[in-house]
Amino acid sequence: MRLKLISCEIFYREMCAVVARSPNMVDIEFLPKGLHDIGSDKMLARLQSALDSVEDARYDAVVLGYGLCGTGIVGLTARSIPVVVPRAHDCITHFLGSKERYAEYFQNHPGVYFKTTGWIERGTDLEQLTRQALHKSGLGYTYSELVEKYGEDNAKFLYEQLCDTTRNYQQFTYIEMGIEPDGRFERIAQEEAAGRGWRFEKIRGDLSLLERLVGGEWDDRDFLTVPPGWRVVARYDESIIGAEPVSQP
Amino acid sequence: MADYSRLYDAILNGDAKTAVAVTKEALAENADPMELVSKHMIPAMDEAGKRFECEEYFVPELLLAARAMKGSLELIRPLLAARGAEPAGRVVIGTVKGDLHDIGKNLVSSMLEGGGFEVVDLGADVPPEKFVDAVKTNNANIVCLSALLTVTMPSMRTTIEALKQAGVRDRVKVMIGGAPVTQQYADEIGADAYGENATAAVTFARKLVAK
Repeated sequence: MRLKLISCEIFYREMCAVVARSPNMVDIEFLPKGLHDIGSDKMLARLQSALDSVEDARYDAVVLGYGLCGTGIVGLTARSIPVVVPRAHDCITHFLGSKERYAEYFQNHPGVYFKTTGWIERGTDLEQLTRQALHKSGLGYTYSELVEKYGEDNAKFLYEQLCDTTRNYQQFTYIEMGIEPDGRFERIAQEEAAGRGWRFEKIRGDLSLLERLVGGEWDDRDFLTVPPGWRVVARYDESIIGAEPVSQP
Repeated sequence: MADYSRLYDAILNGDAKTAVAVTKEALAENADPMELVSKHMIPAMDEAGKRFECEEYFVPELLLAARAMKGSLELIRPLLAARGAEPAGRVVIGTVKGDLHDIGKNLVSSMLEGGGFEVVDLGADVPPEKFVDAVKTNNANIVCLSALLTVTMPSMRTTIEALKQAGVRDRVKVMIGGAPVTQQYADEIGADAYGENATAAVTFARKLVAK
């Protein structure tokens, strides 16, 4: 098969690794990380436009390196070839290899912020974009920007209320995928944890879900296949996402 | 009664210091606290809400207005309580179990307080039984549940189930919100309302208690 992979750049190293070993020929397009922060409608528009510019005739299917991502993929519509997406709330499932393993880990560790190579080295290009989009909601300001706009006293209050988005977290969990060049990413995550006074834990990731995504092994339990002319919907059960036909106006 | 429209301006402009100063001045001049609230303070918050709706105000402006309102209310509330005045409603609010994202919840909480509600804020990652206890001990009539993650949305359903099992579901209205939450989900889990943003939450809360 020939596949087009549209993926969040959070998986840059992982996708390159699984694509290299895939039996299929896979063309990759990475989109900036953190699209979930710009709002569902904007994220959807960004993904749909990437999907719409795929030359369908050249591929058997489009596979997505995304999950439900808030509700950022809800409404995404397959054109003339199927679109395949892992059944996942977000990227942690992709890193841990299954939604069940993520659910189990999350259950026991709600105050955890995850780190992988992608979090550590990727995403600065998007910072400008998300910061602009976030300003409307008041998130994403630096302290000095708030002082300039609202004065010292108000800025302090707003910063506490809006900008310290990780104040309730207590732990970094570094997911080691087994493709890292050396220990540098783990060390950075560890140092950042120490700097914040958070706990640090390292767990082993699992590439199998991503391998199956680019390998074409799309069983219905772990993957949603959106037929041409259908769109993604959110499901509030174990299946996480589903598809429905786009009704003709 | 002297003109305290400065109080309205101070709240609308998010000027907490002036709001408190004018409130103190007004109370020293024996202004009617009830009238301060209904004629100046609540209208100022309503106006801030309107400006938010038409994107003249954004979240920071709204938060600053709510903070100014809160400062004044803290001075006035004991006087109202002494007169036996009832709040618009009693709200129990929190992010559901597993969800640590509380920015939206804090904003809704501030806006509801600004809207004249008594708010018991249970914080983040609140287990269902804690909501149940808070409803009972505070005699609440509204429960607000917030979630940012689709992973934690099912906790909204379990919280509503817990309210049912404890036999208190009928005496409260349940309102839910958060980025991934939709009206469809509210219908599916049997919530009474879905608030798309903080001002919608106040509008719904008022409707819910008026019913």
